[in-house]
Amino acid sequence: MSNERVTEPEVNKNVNPSDDFDTKETVSTAPESDDSILDFDDDPLSATSVSKKSLVIFFLIDTSGSMKGKKMGELNTVMEELIPEIRRVGEADTEVKVAVLTFSTEVRWMYSNPIPIEDFEWARLRASGVTSMGAAFKELNHRMSRNSFLNSPSLSFAPVIFLMTDGYPSDDYKEGLRELQTNSWYKFGLKAALGIGQEANDNILAEFTGSKDTVVHAYSGGQLAQMIKIIAVTSSQIGSKSMTLSDDTGHEIGEEDVFAAKQKLLGQQIQELVSTQTDGDDVPFDTGW
Amino acid sequence: MIELEIGQEVEMEFGGKAKVLSVIGSGGQGIVYLVRFNGQKWALKWYDINKMSKPAAFRKNLQNNINDGPPSNKFLWPKYLTKEAEDGTFGYIMELKPEGFDSFVDILNTYKLEIDPLTGRGVKRPVKFNTLSAMVTCVINIVNAFRQLHRAGKSYQDLNDGGFFINVNTGAVLVCDCDNIAPDGSNFGIGGKPGYMAPEVVRGIAQPNVQTDKYSLAVVLFKLLFRGDPMEGEKVVRDVCLTESSELKHYGQNAVFVYDPDDDSNRPVRGIHDNIIKFWRIYPDYIKDAFIRSFTTGVSDPTKRIIENEWQKLFIRLRSEIIQCGCGRTNFSSMFIHQNEKTFKCPKCGMEFVTIGFSNRDYRTPLYLGCKFYTCEIIPESDDFTAVAGELVENKLKQGVLGIKNCSDRQWKAKMPDGKFYDIAPGKGFPVWQGLEIDFGEVKAQI
Repeated sequence: MSNERVTEPEVNKNVNPSDDFDTKETVSTAPESDDSILDFDDDPLSATSVSKKSLVIFFLIDTSGSMKGKKMGELNTVMEELIPEIRRVGEADTEVKVAVLTFSTEVRWMYSNPIPIEDFEWARLRASGVTSMGAAFKELNHRMSRNSFLNSPSLSFAPVIFLMTDGYPSDDYKEGLRELQTNSWYKFGLKAALGIGQEANDNILAEFTGSKDTVVHAYSGGQLAQMIKIIAVTSSQIGSKSMTLSDDTGHEIGEEDVFAAKQKLLGQQIQELVSTQTDGDDVPFDTGW
Repeated sequence: MIELEIGQEVEMEFGGKAKVLSVIGSGGQGIVYLVRFNGQKWALKWYDINKMSKPAAFRKNLQNNINDGPPSNKFLWPKYLTKEAEDGTFGYIMELKPEGFDSFVDILNTYKLEIDPLTGRGVKRPVKFNTLSAMVTCVINIVNAFRQLHRAGKSYQDLNDGGFFINVNTGAVLVCDCDNIAPDGSNFGIGGKPGYMAPEVVRGIAQPNVQTDKYSLAVVLFKLLFRGDPMEGEKVVRDVCLTESSELKHYGQNAVFVYDPDDDSNRPVRGIHDNIIKFWRIYPDYIKDAFIRSFTTGVSDPTKRIIENEWQKLFIRLRSEIIQCGCGRTNFSSMFIHQNEKTFKCPKCGMEFVTIGFSNRDYRTPLYLGCKFYTCEIIPESDDFTAVAGELVENKLKQGVLGIKNCSDRQWKAKMPDGKFYDIAPGKGFPVWQGLEIDFGEVKAQI
């Protein structure tokens, strides 16, 4: 019967060139040809989980010396608290994984692979050294590949990339960013950035995210915690779900209507949420020394 | 006021206050809280009206639904509205999910992640149907709930896997998230969940209505039985990254069913879609044909979609074709050897099962110890698929003698081995034998 044919996952060989996602060979088992009744587990109740789309959330975190003290303490605490909140967003459709890249004098991954959010445990970070943001962009570009961190055999959503920094890059960030900008995963990814304290330069961050809407700034510990939660939860919610395409456009939706729709939605939602936050009585990072 | 504080009190429309106890969950439109109101615990859904396109019309519709009441007891229906806050924010309360129900999402995941509140670590508790009969009963319940809703002239609008609670032991279903339900033809700004949305909604050329509900219902049923996405196969996986435009293409403009008999461009991929590949071999053709129709001609022509009543008949048939063999093998008769016109045989242990033919069906039903038939199967005008009308049991006084017990409240007639018909009162029974004939009234049956 023709409709019984099963496709082998050679599928990634013929990637649509316009999408330009690098490819990776996947392994397959031979198809079962014998159709006799007992040649396979035929229990209608023994199902595995539905095939999920994969979403990797990349956190790029500045661990240079200037982050020492309250900023790092606050960041470590909020990240620990954040993990259980992100767990809920995947539901039945998406497997959410987390990868954390820290950059100071050196660039370092917290774990050697993206970890499923259900198993992820935050390893507390310490701060020292300079701000090698350009090197971090290069390393991210290197890992955002089918042959590396984005190696799920099934479908993926474009990754969420969340940059947090408190200072001016000490290396040539532009060169790193240029490399990163050639990466399709970056192009389609949901990008957001958080500037911490007075020194962080929102223009550089907007260069990274592609728009000012997805850049926010925290001047105090309380704000830092709020902003990290807002960005991480909102971006993982949007990233892990298919786009709700329906709109009151009154005409048939075309590709131009949906282009970068998630990134635009992220910008809108972040701005809405940020505007409702109160400043509180927190002491700014930069005063009281 | 997007978020409520724990301990905060919310004024209800007709007086009284609901006190917020904790957060239950959050969704696209707002947050659900556990609250206490009038000495009882309830769930409060509190909207983020910034995300609503028409909050006033939405509230009015909710009010109308509350006044109309639920189409049946299968719905966790909105109960009372809150007063509007100064900024226009509002919510409603509904009953809490009863004990013993799991979410459809957890069933699809095959486990529920339970978080230890102290360490924050998650433990996976398996969630699966206990019996095949419970699973098919669940399908019938879902279909029936939407039939009731559509008969009330309303559509659910954003039917998806988050909309159900299910009892995996009995197949009982509770439809939740009923707040977007609206009279057919109206829409208050909800589009739906991609993957579940009808292609014409994805493309922006239709708004959710009863016809798009039917498409979404077929997706829900497919996911429950085949445990995969009906439109995600080779063609989609080839895109590697599901961007907004690939989604528009594969779920809207060019949606191709993974088992479209006339288009094999999107077949399931081994290693990714193993569930679908396996289950497609198990289900009988009449079930597969219904899904093929839903996801091929039904994609472009909403009027070709399967109506709920038709689904209900198909799944009542499927339930009646479950064979539970003495050796422990339980499956649909399609997975047993069709020995001859009237007999099935277990491929594992060789046990044979006689079948009985009902005058209102063009297929024969296998008989085995413990098998049941339901009121709707012997009374044509009945829609009752839960009340057991008859059961195959062993005679308590004569070991090894199998018979059918009348569990209904009507009197039947049955032909006994002496060739004569006898009245079978409720609670009585009769042996299963070669020449058995049963007269249920309008419906007759014969071995």
